Amino acid sequence: MPVIPPALQRFFPLPRPVRAVLVFVLIYIFLVGVSSLEGGIKVMGADTQERLFSNVDHPIAGLFIGLLGTVLVQSSSASTSVIVGLVASGALGVDQAVPMVMGANIGTTVTNTLVSLGHVRQSIEFRRALAAATVHDFFNVMAVAVLLPFELLTGALSSAAEWLSEKLVGSAGTEWKSPVKVWVKKPVDWIKDGLSSFVDNDNVLGTLMVTVGLLLVLVSLILITKNMKTLIAERVERSMNAILGRGGGIVAMIVGMLITIAVQSSSITTSILIPMSAAGVITLKNAYPVTLGANVGTTITALLAALAASRPEALTVGLVHTIFNLTGILLLYGVPFLRPLPMKAAEKLAAVAVERRMLAVAYLGVAFIIVPLLGVAIFR
Amino acid sequence: MVMSFFRKRESGLEHVAHQTVSMLADARHSFDLASMAVLSGADPAVVGADIDATDERINQAEQKLRSELVVHVSVRGGEDIGVVLAYTLLLKKIERIGDQAQNVFELASEGVSFAGADDIDEFIEVRDTISLMYGEAAEILANQDEDAARDFLARSFEMNDRCGDRVRFYMHSEEPGSWAVPRAILYRYWKRIVANLAGIVTSAIEPLQTMDYLDGGATDINDD
Repeated sequence: MPVIPPALQRFFPLPRPVRAVLVFVLIYIFLVGVSSLEGGIKVMGADTQERLFSNVDHPIAGLFIGLLGTVLVQSSSASTSVIVGLVASGALGVDQAVPMVMGANIGTTVTNTLVSLGHVRQSIEFRRALAAATVHDFFNVMAVAVLLPFELLTGALSSAAEWLSEKLVGSAGTEWKSPVKVWVKKPVDWIKDGLSSFVDNDNVLGTLMVTVGLLLVLVSLILITKNMKTLIAERVERSMNAILGRGGGIVAMIVGMLITIAVQSSSITTSILIPMSAAGVITLKNAYPVTLGANVGTTITALLAALAASRPEALTVGLVHTIFNLTGILLLYGVPFLRPLPMKAAEKLAAVAVERRMLAVAYLGVAFIIVPLLGVAIFR
Repeated sequence: MVMSFFRKRESGLEHVAHQTVSMLADARHSFDLASMAVLSGADPAVVGADIDATDERINQAEQKLRSELVVHVSVRGGEDIGVVLAYTLLLKKIERIGDQAQNVFELASEGVSFAGADDIDEFIEVRDTISLMYGEAAEILANQDEDAARDFLARSFEMNDRCGDRVRFYMHSEEPGSWAVPRAILYRYWKRIVANLAGIVTSAIEPLQTMDYLDGGATDINDD
């Protein structure tokens, strides 16, 4: 969603300082959106909240709802921010939110896989592009396969996050006096007052506030990403060239993380890798750590969203997202014999998909839509 | 490498532009060395190592810059696609004139030397003119100066005709083959180098689709 239509952009290029200020304004609007979402849920009655969120009581259902929601908005930054908003409202517990956040991590991989389909007509390019895209899928699925049961059995990830958020903002169940919350209070009140002049039913008012909040979160994130991509394109280019010159590893991971933090979208970072991989200028081995860095970088948005929340649990969920991704990397990338597994799986899938192109489309449909829908239907 | 994200440096295409000019400087270095080996009888073993290293540098630069162009398109999308395609053509042309300097050097490797020959002054004059043309082409590339480009192209056609005339002259010469053939071959290589330099300079005045041609695509700069 461009600020200026593409055809006119060349005539009205935004000066860099203006664009930078715009990004700050958009971050503020994003925080207003998260707070409006939280406020909307709070306005709804307890019965409505119970009805809405009882479906995610089962962790597998929560996982798949997180996945489907992210596929729908094509952004884990957006979906995890919404989850944080829901936790902040008290409608969703940390234990319900954790599988959803893990699902969001898987759901975000759909975008670069879709991008890789653009190379479907050139066998060699497609093979490389699909492998580079699905290495992200396989890594995230493997991380969830290991860490979700671990979390359900031990609660270790959420305990670590809870400990950290307690140190930072206070213990669960208390009200956190976030300064950001104070900054965004006025616009949220305006939204609430404006809407309440049209409706007097709390459930309708809450639904409208949630809708406005969702729109603000989604639109502001799209615009933040777009503007930041323009602002830092040269830096991204330089960093990518540096990776090409010197190989992958931890440094590539940090570069992937920095780019993602800057553009607030792991999809942008991982999608940039696809044409590079397709052309053969970056190997799968070097693209893989960039992808992992993007996984960590994208968790910054949920942490940012937690700043506008009034409950420490919101920050706990944001931190679980970060800790989950860091632990996944330590385990699946840090342990040498596990490291090649996602790459091998991705290469295998790409080799099969090159022979049967429809398989790639079927993979997308089954992995990102049918299986999650079935999962929600069975486990809700 | 991580710091490359934070440092303020030239943009991707600016870097490609600077490196392209550097490649042309390397190509000139190769040309000067190879021509010197043929004209002055310098030891090919001594000159050869430098020419090989320079050629390797040109090849590496071409590959690296191609990767950078792919990265540029991946990051920026299609907004600079015309410039990127033009650079792909330019890089290949520069790499090719690097190879043509190698061809000139092969004459020296085969024992050809015009040192002390009666016609050495003419060879030196042509060599010096072409060598200067490398520098001019690099300057035109860097500054995108249209007037200088047109002036360069006019002179390059004259030089091309002159080299072509010499090739025909030696082909029909009554002198022995060991005298005429190396001269014909040298002028043939020089003619190709001049044509490629002209092709490079057209990037300053012609749109992408007629780059390496002139008059809106009507005139082919024949560099084969």
